[in-house]
Amino acid sequence: MTVADLSRSEMDRPDLPARGVLGASAPRKEDHRLLRGDGAFTDDVQPARAAQMAVARCPYPHARIVSIDTSRAERLPGVLHILTGADIRETTGPLTVLRPVPGAPELPYRALADGVATHEGQPVVSVVATSRHIAEDALDLLDIEYEPLPHVVDTMEALGPGAPVLQPAVLDSNLLAAQTDRRGDPEARLREADVVVGARFRINRVTALPMEPRAVVAQWRPGARMLTVHASTQVPHLVRKQLAETLGLDESEIRTVAGDVGGGFGLKLGVFPEDVLACVHAMALRLPVKWVEDRGEHFRGSTHARESVHDYTIGADAEGRIVAMMDRYVTDLGGWNSPFGSAQLSSVVFNGPYKVHDGLVERRVALTNKTPIGAYRGYGQPEVNFAYERLMDMLARELGADPVELRARNMVTQAELPWENPAGAVYDSGDYERCLRMAAEAVGWSRHRDAPRTLREDGRIVGIGFSSFVERTGYASSRFLARRGSRFGAHESVTLRANRSGGVDAYTGVSSMGQSSETAFAQVISHVTGIAYDAVRVHGGDTAASPLNTGAFASRTMIAASGALKAAGEEFAAKTRRIAAYALGCAPEEVRIEGREARADGRTVPLAEVFTRALTGQGIPPEEEPGLECTAHFEPMDAAYSFGTAAAVVSVDPVTGEFDVERFVLAHDGGTLVNPAVVEGQIRGALAQGFGAALGEELRYDPGTGQLVNGSMMDYFVPTAADVPPVELLHTEVPSPVTPFGVRGVGEAGTIPPAAAVANAVCDALSAWGVELFTLPITPESIWRAMRAATGQEAP
Amino acid sequence: MTAVHDSPGSLDQDAEPTAVVTVSVNGAEVTGRVPVRMHAADFLRQRLGLTGTHVGCEQGVCGMCTVIVDGEAVKSCLMLACQLDGRAVRTVESLAEGDRLGPLQEAFAARGALQCGFCTPGLLMTATALAYQGGRPDREAVREEIAGVLCRCTGYEPIVTAIEEYFAGLPETGEEEENART
Repeated sequence: MTVADLSRSEMDRPDLPARGVLGASAPRKEDHRLLRGDGAFTDDVQPARAAQMAVARCPYPHARIVSIDTSRAERLPGVLHILTGADIRETTGPLTVLRPVPGAPELPYRALADGVATHEGQPVVSVVATSRHIAEDALDLLDIEYEPLPHVVDTMEALGPGAPVLQPAVLDSNLLAAQTDRRGDPEARLREADVVVGARFRINRVTALPMEPRAVVAQWRPGARMLTVHASTQVPHLVRKQLAETLGLDESEIRTVAGDVGGGFGLKLGVFPEDVLACVHAMALRLPVKWVEDRGEHFRGSTHARESVHDYTIGADAEGRIVAMMDRYVTDLGGWNSPFGSAQLSSVVFNGPYKVHDGLVERRVALTNKTPIGAYRGYGQPEVNFAYERLMDMLARELGADPVELRARNMVTQAELPWENPAGAVYDSGDYERCLRMAAEAVGWSRHRDAPRTLREDGRIVGIGFSSFVERTGYASSRFLARRGSRFGAHESVTLRANRSGGVDAYTGVSSMGQSSETAFAQVISHVTGIAYDAVRVHGGDTAASPLNTGAFASRTMIAASGALKAAGEEFAAKTRRIAAYALGCAPEEVRIEGREARADGRTVPLAEVFTRALTGQGIPPEEEPGLECTAHFEPMDAAYSFGTAAAVVSVDPVTGEFDVERFVLAHDGGTLVNPAVVEGQIRGALAQGFGAALGEELRYDPGTGQLVNGSMMDYFVPTAADVPPVELLHTEVPSPVTPFGVRGVGEAGTIPPAAAVANAVCDALSAWGVELFTLPITPESIWRAMRAATGQEAP
Repeated sequence: MTAVHDSPGSLDQDAEPTAVVTVSVNGAEVTGRVPVRMHAADFLRQRLGLTGTHVGCEQGVCGMCTVIVDGEAVKSCLMLACQLDGRAVRTVESLAEGDRLGPLQEAFAARGALQCGFCTPGLLMTATALAYQGGRPDREAVREEIAGVLCRCTGYEPIVTAIEEYFAGLPETGEEEENART
């Protein structure tokens, strides 16, 4: 049964009795405005007299800025204001990092390059003019003299001898930090193991590519000392904090508003240089200043993701029981430390769903002259999954074992959970093997396993590959984050306020970027209070109209917010019942809230009347305070681990390497589902991004010039409607014991298994040749080359 | 810091060469003076306030800015505002009747065919233009037809289903009847 089948019958019933709305595919609150073109994206904010900003960027991967002459640009009619690195050094502090690399020196950088730029696309000068055309014309009139410096773009070369050191003031190499998590003696276990498999896996550099680019509109009222910043961000409260730090303002002097956000996927986490620049210009000019990123800037000036090199080794005994897992990997940070920096979760879940006592994971962070790496959906989990799941198939081949049975034998069992992995992560609950068996059965594995891998009529060979995973969702408490040096909390918050129309206004700092938080929050509120789903309105993303929160990332929103929604909802409902009881002349315990009224013993009072009594203080119990507004915060104490197994059926042409993913089955557990249709949407969307990164997307740099060679949508191919393979979803629902309502995060799971499952299927199809894939993306060319290598032929 | 102008003065773009265009937008005739290098998407968004048409790449790849010009789906970032002179434009704002969503919009909502909603207007206008051609494209044809509009959220499957259902609900066209007879 697919996720959608579970609750389709309950759709289109927004008026249904409130209990039951949790777990139903309630119609999305966000849809109506977005379908009518009435969303409020940042570029839709058009203040009168707004000036427009454009940014000159370093064309070299590494260069000293010798001189900047702005005089010709200044003379262009319509140009209003120009900033250089010297101006920014005088007026602002460095951009702050939300997630510093533990144990590493800070790499302070400013909104405009301060003497030296370390990647192509780093902002160097910003210009504000009366129109975007004029601002961009002015960029052509800037005379900037650069002295190119030696550069390095390859991750491993950057750590090698002879590489230019990018931050010589604070580092003597490009190794920013190394962190090791270990348990037991994995080196000894590997020496004793009957079978050892290991390889170097290269993960491609990709980018999240939200359809809405970044954008910011800054407005300053000096007399009020109020800076209003509209920005396309996943974290408005954290942007406010960072802007205050960088601009030297009090947080009270900044209001950040994220309206509709056209996709985030981790990229829109925190302050970017252009956000600071727009604010500085606006404060100098006393005019609204707008900047909307163009796509060329997006490819160079936003963040990239994933690029890493994993040296992974697994040892097992002759029966196929894993005795040690060891991953030493390097993540590429790029030219400086973005607010979130490079992925960390490869370490947390490095062993996947497999039970192993002795293990080691070492993370090294390398600086290169490329666009900074930031967070992206999955944040290390797809990368490490490719390595350990490829090795599980290689181990099966070494042992002559069935790859499904080998996985099943090594998975942490339901009885063993909760279980702590060698990196200290505590897996909470689940039935990992069940998802594996479901996926294997769905693709007819047992028949395929014993059949010869022979040519089909169309000249192709069919292979089946699997990928099993666990996914860390949410953060395990602010204390956990503090130990990692993170400068944000783990909580979410909500304010519920009654209105005289008989409805509830819910205020949250969570902005709406497609994750359906308005819908899901209203469902939980309706579930907890009994108030009709239709009577709940969620207002999100405005720091001036929401309690302080953390933000929408790390698959954490529902995990943390559901606790706050539950607590606030219960308090809200209790007071509603007390006032309704007073109106009805009965005891509060007798009152039930149903839809838009409160009822007791056959009599009813409309919520509009109850709430009006509450808000005016007229007609409420004498001991009751007027008003009806409840705020709650909630911090989860543990992370919840989603899990699942994907199976890919792939046909491969052994002559050309061309291939098609003919079926892709994902059996997944997301705990209690608040809204099954939304969950299905999250999984399908993440899978599409997973396929994109596995099968086509790759940002390439030319090693000689250090230039990004495919930084446009013409050259960087994300999946279109004609490209996404057919997906079948299977589903289990094991509630997490560590979260409110048993929810798990569901936003990122789909990004994890596609690469490994497809690669394993290709290698299964071509097993007669002994083909193994170690590099992403998987392309006909890479398969063809692997075939040539396996058969001892040279390839050009 | 370089203060180029003490007073910004008029922010009208006096220095820009301009032209007058007359265009029918969602059934209403509009006449206005525009900079000759303003593209059609900016004209719709900034001059007419029709911000449902989005801009995603400004090079005709992503399809966010797709509108209908004289019955055909067009990427309005690749067109100048001047080129709209004398033509009829239809944007996403025309699809609902009052507060009531049109059938294509209803199908999108029912099938979960949107998440962040940034690509949605482009997809809706592409499918609307496709309907002008008559016929009943199958799923594969729908996939090919909408491949010029990118979506990073949904994985496309629900979009294809929604468009398919929308076509299934359209009255049979004369052309189709003609085809059915022959």
